[in-house]
Amino acid sequence: MKFTRLLTLAVSAFALMVAGGVGASAESTLDIVKKRGHLRCQVGAPAPGFYNLDANGEWYGSDVSICQAVAAAIFGDKSKLEIQSVSSQVRFTALANGESDLLSRTATWTLLRDTQLGLDFTAINFYDGQGFMVPKDTGIKSALELKGATVCVLTGTTTELNLADFSRVNNLDISPVTFEDSNVRNDTYLAGGCDALTNDKSSIASIKAAFPNPDDHLLLPETISKEPLAPAVRQGDGQWFDIVKWTVYALINAEELGVTQANVDDMRANSTNASVRRMLGAEGNLNEGLGLSKDWAYNIIKQVGNYGEIYERYMGGGELGIKIGRAGSANELWTRGGLMYAPPFR
Amino acid sequence: MAVTDSDKASAHVKPKERFDFFHDERVRSVFYQLLTACTVGWLAWYLITNTAHNLEIRGMNTGFGFLTATAGFDTDFKLIEYEPGIGTYGRIFLIGCLNTLLVSSFAIVASTFLGFFVGVLRLSNNWLVARLALAFVEIIRNTPLLLQIIFWYVGVFALLPRVKNSVDLSGGAEVLFINNRGLYMAWPVPGDLFWMTTTAFVATVVGVFLLRRWAHKRQDETGQQFPIFSASVALLILVPGAVYLVTGSPLEWDLPTLQGFNFRGGFSLPPAFLALLVSLTIYHAAHLAESVRAGILSVNKGQTEAALAIGLKPGRAMALIIIPQAMRAIVPPLISLWMNCVKNSSLAIAIGYSDIVALFMQTALNQAGYAVEMVGMTMAFYMFISLSISGLLNIYNKRVQLVER
Amino acid sequence: MAAVVKSERTAARSAPLSETTVLGWLRKNLFSSWINALLTIVSIYIIYAAVKGFYVWGVADAVWVAKDRRECFDISIDGACWAGVIQWMNNFIYGRYPRGELWRVNLGALMLVLWMAPLWVPRVKDKILIGMSTVFLYPFLAGYFFAGGEKGIFMQVMVTLGIVFLVGNTLNVIIGVSSGRGLREVMIQKLGKQDASDESQRNTILAIFVGALVVVFVLQMWWTFEAVSWTKWGGMFLTLVISGIGIAAALPLGIFLALGRRSKLPVIRVLCTAFIEIFRSVPLITVLFMATTMFPLFMPEGVPLNKLTQVIIAVCLFSGCYMAETVRAGLQAIPNGQYEAAHTIGLGYWGTMGLIVMPQALKHMIPNIVGSFIGLLKDTTLVSIIGLFDVLGMLRSVSQDIPWRGLHKEPLLFGAMLFFIVCFAMSKYSRHLEVKLSAGDNR
Repeated sequence: MKFTRLLTLAVSAFALMVAGGVGASAESTLDIVKKRGHLRCQVGAPAPGFYNLDANGEWYGSDVSICQAVAAAIFGDKSKLEIQSVSSQVRFTALANGESDLLSRTATWTLLRDTQLGLDFTAINFYDGQGFMVPKDTGIKSALELKGATVCVLTGTTTELNLADFSRVNNLDISPVTFEDSNVRNDTYLAGGCDALTNDKSSIASIKAAFPNPDDHLLLPETISKEPLAPAVRQGDGQWFDIVKWTVYALINAEELGVTQANVDDMRANSTNASVRRMLGAEGNLNEGLGLSKDWAYNIIKQVGNYGEIYERYMGGGELGIKIGRAGSANELWTRGGLMYAPPFR
Repeated sequence: MAVTDSDKASAHVKPKERFDFFHDERVRSVFYQLLTACTVGWLAWYLITNTAHNLEIRGMNTGFGFLTATAGFDTDFKLIEYEPGIGTYGRIFLIGCLNTLLVSSFAIVASTFLGFFVGVLRLSNNWLVARLALAFVEIIRNTPLLLQIIFWYVGVFALLPRVKNSVDLSGGAEVLFINNRGLYMAWPVPGDLFWMTTTAFVATVVGVFLLRRWAHKRQDETGQQFPIFSASVALLILVPGAVYLVTGSPLEWDLPTLQGFNFRGGFSLPPAFLALLVSLTIYHAAHLAESVRAGILSVNKGQTEAALAIGLKPGRAMALIIIPQAMRAIVPPLISLWMNCVKNSSLAIAIGYSDIVALFMQTALNQAGYAVEMVGMTMAFYMFISLSISGLLNIYNKRVQLVER
Repeated sequence: MAAVVKSERTAARSAPLSETTVLGWLRKNLFSSWINALLTIVSIYIIYAAVKGFYVWGVADAVWVAKDRRECFDISIDGACWAGVIQWMNNFIYGRYPRGELWRVNLGALMLVLWMAPLWVPRVKDKILIGMSTVFLYPFLAGYFFAGGEKGIFMQVMVTLGIVFLVGNTLNVIIGVSSGRGLREVMIQKLGKQDASDESQRNTILAIFVGALVVVFVLQMWWTFEAVSWTKWGGMFLTLVISGIGIAAALPLGIFLALGRRSKLPVIRVLCTAFIEIFRSVPLITVLFMATTMFPLFMPEGVPLNKLTQVIIAVCLFSGCYMAETVRAGLQAIPNGQYEAAHTIGLGYWGTMGLIVMPQALKHMIPNIVGSFIGLLKDTTLVSIIGLFDVLGMLRSVSQDIPWRGLHKEPLLFGAMLFFIVCFAMSKYSRHLEVKLSAGDNR
């Protein structure tokens, strides 16, 4: 009977859909990544210095280097990597539901995000803070002189909230002009569409460097917020959290110990420094707790370089760098007065 | 589907012999409907439980309580009072709705006029003008609106002069300025006795309406025409004007003046609003122009000739004979264009005009979470607007149909 | 009454001046009244200003070769810097697709042209079969070319079928154009079977078909393409993929929903109407936001949907609802007599719809479908707002690249021209189709 056949079909389709709904297993992230054969690392829409597209469609930037370093640590090959660019309003959801394994983008570490969004921030790889830029001819020397000014700001970020707070606390009556697109914001500022521009200082530096006359603009001394930037992972997988955290520490430690991309082979073979030998896997078995191979840190340095090299390449004076000075800033090594400090490898 | 095909065919024969349960049309219709309802109901249940589970494991908040929570961010353009840190998310929603309605209603009015104008130009007997109108229509219709919006914003409104060199559009009267921060205009502040002027105006409008009816009636009965248009305009200006002057001009103007960094006072529109308004107007006008042209061409040529034959002048023939008939073909696409205009204003997000999508679905969602509720509220807003506009269309269609024989 | 007969022909009067001389034409079309003259002068000024402004900036002062924006500035501070656009060209067209594998995208596009071309050649037979295979086989074959990776058994079968159809189809066209016959006919003749019974002929063709399938299936097992993740898709290629899938899925979805909306069964009618009206009354951007924020919540735990899938589902639902209204309009244009006639010869609901009504309605809808495709192609630029690197996303990324920092007007203008060319050509073609199809009706 055709009718019954139809019914059977409907019922079996129903059953199939139900069955498809169950059966999610609790594998560790490392196993999932290894089985897949590549790391899925999330960045945002191009932001100079951090992540950026070149004319050949390749990603580059300091946060991309973190992605590459994690891939190198796991696979010994930094190219086993899939970079996903995700718009900011779904960045945390995309990490939480397993679309990405790792979030390496300019997301500020805050208490709320750390505790309520189902993610964990690992280790800080860049200290940023929000500042203001004004044209020099306005004669403004301090952000507190911005009473009644219009300020260009990007929408949907903590920058917008910080600006509102700063204005209210100091009774400045600042009116924000919000933008979705940073180009449009920069152009508007250049054309005098607002009196000041606010963003993270790193970003302001890169914007300023690209202006036709960079010296006509002044970065005001106030830093109105703390913006510690750190890669983030899903909550609940301690091993994965450790891998990402110690990848960042390996980069910092390597710089402190003087291990560079160029001398890493030599250091592994000939160094007499026990810390160096332990880190590069020539001695001891520090890798076991992480579930990685013995030469994980060696691979990172060999393929990506140490923290200082990455900084110089993309943040500092390199050809693709955005020319932010490092000396005297929080991003300098602790041995030279900065905040970059990694726990010991032992 | 061959299964149902043959079944249905036999059902139509309506065999008399016995009641065949599986081939009875009513049974089958109930069965199909039940099947559909169950499938849809199950799908809904499946999605809802999944969502609830996902919200729970991610520790995300739900419910509409956030509407009364304070929002920490500010917005650069608002029609109602709002203070960051004091105003609530509910207010943010309201600001977004009003901003969307403001820009789309302006764009609807402007694009309707411009569209009719270009549509008539398309039919101009001046070869160059017709071609220019055609080029305008084709270029605008064949590039994405999003690209046009960005172009107007980046390429035009960002290039206007700075605040210090603002252009005075009122020619020295200092009531209307434009610069790259927007359009600044004087804004009336009504005084104590201004209500009398308002009342006089309303009374005159009613009077004009009655006058029109009387004039029509007289024309129907006697054939005499009354210069209704000029009489109405005169009345509308003179009566409230006289009352205004008699009560001692109780209206003050809040003038925009340059203070510190910016113009203060008056009313101002940000460049994002202007760019959005211009691009929406142009985009929809180009689409409307084609409908207008098609509408006018759809009227039989014999109608024009007949009108001219009974002695109407070409202008009167157009106004009394051609346009009313063309309207029947123009209005349905016109109204769906209005609907599109409201929907397309959501592209404001690309240039940061604080419409409902940018303000509520982007910024507020980013700050507070509540994805399901916020997406739902935004969609409900658009649905409400669209249903209202399409209700308008239905009313019009009914009226037109009644006229038809 | 005397008849007057003229012995010579009257000489033809010369055509009015306005039809023959340039001056006359100008007078009639441009200066017929003082208002017209004024309009003409204003128009000429507008054209002059626009063309001159663009020419000076975009051509005369423009820089075509430079290694970065600074160099552009050094050569010409006021002109356009097209050098950046030229360097980024591959990104605009293919996105981040691996540069060594671009031929796969090109080949995919070429296959579509080969596949569809016969539909435009009047002498080719079996157009329905070609059309169906375009919808059901091409997406899988092209999808495999674009995505690569290991083939599952389903994909292997689809790829095999696709290749066999593509080859057969191409042969069919060549034979059709050169001799006006179908591929089947020629094969039968070459095998000397033209006198055999119908059944034997059919079996022969079937045997050849199955043989070809087996050969291709074995051959395709030997090659696999390198997998290219969706994150590397971008540019115009991605725009076309999204809008292509959108329009292809919209057609069946639209037909289904339109029939549901016209159904006599109240539950089905109400559900379909509500579904259509909900999606038609909200902007695409809200649907895209819904897809990216809410779809992940809909999915069971541990089954993530990637962004591209989310976007494609959203676009399909959206365009399906618009298509439903197009289909409904097409169905309404079919006179009642057609339904009655179909019932009279004993066809049921699906028979009436599938064999009588739909084919007629679809033919009328073709221009509208092309129109919807143009609309969808333009609307697809919205996916750049939610973070995909479609053509607009790429155009806006140029200005972030350190060597080209801040370069954004030139890419946007280039994008506008690209869209104009594609959309204008398609809309011209759809108008041509409209004329051609309605001419057929008027006979």
